[in-house]
Amino acid sequence: MSQITVDISDMRVSASPDDLIVTYALGSCIAVIVHDPKRKVGGMIHYMLPLSEIAPEKAKDKPAMFADTGIPELFRTMYGMGCDKKDLVVKVAGGGALYDDKGLFSIGKRNYTVLRKMFWKAGVIIAAEDVGGAKSRTARLWVGDGRCTIASQGEEVPL
Amino acid sequence: MTPVSEILAHVDRLPAFPTSAIQLSGLLRDERAGAPEVEKVVRPDPSLTANLLRMANSSYFSPRSRAETVRQAVALLGMKRTFELAVGAALARMIPARLPGYDIDAKSFWLHCVAVAVLSERLAKETRAASPDLLFTAGLLHDVGKLAIATFVAGAAPEILVKARAGTDFVTAEREVLGVDHCEIGARVAETWKLPPAVSWAARWHHQPTAAPEGVNRTLVDLVHAADSLAISLGLGNDVGEMARTVDPGVWLRLGLQVRRMERVAGESLESVRGLAQALEAGRENPS
Repeated sequence: MSQITVDISDMRVSASPDDLIVTYALGSCIAVIVHDPKRKVGGMIHYMLPLSEIAPEKAKDKPAMFADTGIPELFRTMYGMGCDKKDLVVKVAGGGALYDDKGLFSIGKRNYTVLRKMFWKAGVIIAAEDVGGAKSRTARLWVGDGRCTIASQGEEVPL
Repeated sequence: MTPVSEILAHVDRLPAFPTSAIQLSGLLRDERAGAPEVEKVVRPDPSLTANLLRMANSSYFSPRSRAETVRQAVALLGMKRTFELAVGAALARMIPARLPGYDIDAKSFWLHCVAVAVLSERLAKETRAASPDLLFTAGLLHDVGKLAIATFVAGAAPEILVKARAGTDFVTAEREVLGVDHCEIGARVAETWKLPPAVSWAARWHHQPTAAPEGVNRTLVDLVHAADSLAISLGLGNDVGEMARTVDPGVWLRLGLQVRRMERVAGESLESVRGLAQALEAGRENPS
């Protein structure tokens, strides 16, 4: 088994059933985890910010930094590997927040809102999600069987 | 429960901060001091020299020029920057492989230190706040208390985590369980190491800048608080409890921060943070 680590503002896809895709320290960032059980292909993006309009040049160089450029890129890559949209199992994790009564620091919420809008428009259904809260998460996806876990504050649970 | 006195005694037994960095702090206050004096302090310490040059040549500090010698680095960067780099180089060597109570390894802890240093400066630029003296160093060392308190936090981790999971912010949980938190300890460490006041202010008040007394540079602690919140939010070196932290609304008012501006700073800083952390990580692994 080899482990593939997805950095912040990065995206990785694998068609090797032995691979484990993992991303660490999801705070307000969001991981979209996509798996095709038929073809045994898995993919994950760890995006940092909602909209690329704040830095269009950066988005060309690093589309996975933003939800609006990164998520379509992830799906395109999966399709490029022969996946069919109707077979894809999509899970979401992250989008956490600090204790912030006044909502001053709402990057996590904005990250999640943009994702929901995009999925609604594209007709993508979220099979499972673990979002929000004042916690940092680690997300894992086993490419072979599509198993997913979320680890946070010393506990790891299936997603 | 560990008595506070035992924790404080442990601070006094921490390894000494390298003499060279403390001497540089003295030179900073001496207006007549220049490159030759800095060279005299740094050169006898080969590891500090190597790390300092590595940092000086990183794209964050000098995107266009290269320094081959300490003297060139001082000419290129000036005294203050050289001091900031020397402190960074010195700190990088002091981080243990793992901080047990915080469930974080040296690499991630270091990434967080560098992220807060860089983001503090970028936020000062973005908000057009007058950049306080030694902001980079203050950002870099804001969590220095964790180095001293980690083993005690580890001993009390189950109790602290129960509180954090129930919605208490982590630093409050530390204080409730241990009688002292990493901020107070950090200020004490900075004083023990005879570092400039900016460092001890940032260590002491980075979780609650509004509570800082008169005499503390408020802009400095505000910027470090905002940078720390942003770094944690982005996952730049998160430890077990840092997401469970309270945002100080006063900071937002005083600095005029907005979420979009924070996002822009985040997008622009990611590469610098990574580049600089890597430059120094190399120094941490090969301390020669």
